[in-house]
Amino acid sequence: MLKWYQETENQHDVFVASRIRLVRNLTHCPFPVKLSGEERKKLAEKLEEGLKDIGSVCRKDFRRISLSAAGGTEREALRERRAIGAAGAAEEGMESLLLSEDETVSITLAGDDHVRLQCMSGQAELSRLWEEADRLDDYINERFPYAFHEKYGYLTAYPTNVGTGLRAAVTLHLPMLSAGKRFGKLVAEIGRFGVAVRGVYGDGNETYGSLYEISNQKTLGVTEEEVITLVKQMADRLAASERKMKSVTLKSHRTDMEDEIFKSYGVLRYARKLNLKEAMTYLSQVRAGEMEGLLQFKEPVNICRLMTEIQPANIRMLVPEEEENDLNQARAAYIRKLLPELV
Amino acid sequence: MLCEKCKMREANIRYTEVVGGVKTEYNLCSHCAREMDFGHYSAVFDTDYPIGKLLAGLFGLDADGGENDEFDVNQVTCPTCHTAYSDFVKDSRFGCPDCYRVFDLLMSENIKKVQGSDTHTGKRPLYNREGGQEGAGEDEETRLLKSIEILDSRLKEAVQEEEYEAAARYRDEIRELKERLGEHA
Ligand SMILES: [Zn+2]
Ligand SMILES: [Zn+2]
Repeated sequence: MLKWYQETENQHDVFVASRIRLVRNLTHCPFPVKLSGEERKKLAEKLEEGLKDIGSVCRKDFRRISLSAAGGTEREALRERRAIGAAGAAEEGMESLLLSEDETVSITLAGDDHVRLQCMSGQAELSRLWEEADRLDDYINERFPYAFHEKYGYLTAYPTNVGTGLRAAVTLHLPMLSAGKRFGKLVAEIGRFGVAVRGVYGDGNETYGSLYEISNQKTLGVTEEEVITLVKQMADRLAASERKMKSVTLKSHRTDMEDEIFKSYGVLRYARKLNLKEAMTYLSQVRAGEMEGLLQFKEPVNICRLMTEIQPANIRMLVPEEEENDLNQARAAYIRKLLPELV
Repeated sequence: MLCEKCKMREANIRYTEVVGGVKTEYNLCSHCAREMDFGHYSAVFDTDYPIGKLLAGLFGLDADGGENDEFDVNQVTCPTCHTAYSDFVKDSRFGCPDCYRVFDLLMSENIKKVQGSDTHTGKRPLYNREGGQEGAGEDEETRLLKSIEILDSRLKEAVQEEEYEAAARYRDEIRELKERLGEHA
């Protein structure tokens, strides 16, 4: 079965993915940080047992992954695919994970909070994802009463999640906008509405591949619908600016743009070694080129899938152990294999 | 990583500054970075932005408060999980659901600052049948008493510091809590 990020994009667009995340905690139980390793394990087992039929709610098959037993590379690979958060990838970050086969639904147990529920997809559909998360949330709550406070709402380990416990996020591909001088100002403007813009992939200092996630910062005093509307609005605004900038550039600098895009395609098609930054930069160009119809492939290809699968831990999981010492080589080979010829 | 200033939000801005050959790194959240009046938020994307002087007074902010003689709010501790208020300030993380009740009055202003509100308006749990009223009554009383105690010490402090506006606010809050305590008794 294909995972959500592997499905062929039906429409190449600025919108790349949507994500809804809820954090919840049980009554009468300290947050995991205050639990011993043994207690965490017991808590995770209790939750797993209670949620063993959760697949019936969204008609998906789930598998259980013991994160405390999984290796660092596997955890990191899950984080790169955004099935778990950064905290979960850390050593002893969380106990276990219930992951749907297509990786759209992930429920992490005994991490920072008792339950972290996430629904993801490759479409612009925050509202549908919220409906799904809402249903799953009720299902969990039916089995486990939640810690809830009249004033503060759903109680969470961090005060930055309290209230709705909701993070609504949209991933956008912004190659033109993010290269421009005004991007910082635009991000700041959006920040004033309580919406954050973060690079999805990069090395901590620099964003690679121009994928940005737009998400709400506030979780208290706003309803779920308000949060989703706000994030949608801001994402639409950024997407509109990106499209506008692209069409202006296409008019004024068409040859320059084509040149960059075809060069990028050429490198990806023939390079023998690619480090992460190179690969992400060229893939981003190629995606922009395809979106504008400048590049036409013989077969459909999902560039965002490539962007995910060439991340360090994922590429390491893909190659046999003996080749592990040269990830750049493996990365280039993988891209050559999946990138189709031009028409 | 959490923001070095408010210690509540995720730090998503890293400033690297080189002064006299010494490299210093600051991790701030976008909110605090903006509030710091670094001038242009776009600094996030400019590596060579001069921020030296603006950071001067910044990290001493945590030093005040708490050291007062008779009552130290940092010592307030959650009876359920033994998280002290000072632990909460340090890690900006709660130890258990009860912490919210215990630290309510101490932190509500901070939460308001971070969240822009201190009252939930969203979804409520459908199935929380327990959360019962019987046991809660006693808890409520203890909580109120504790809150009054804290506010009382703050009131005294405020008077000492001649911060009459704050003092008036504490007095009002205490009055309100005492009324609520009366209803419970
Ligand atoms: Zn901050
Ligand atoms: Zn506690």
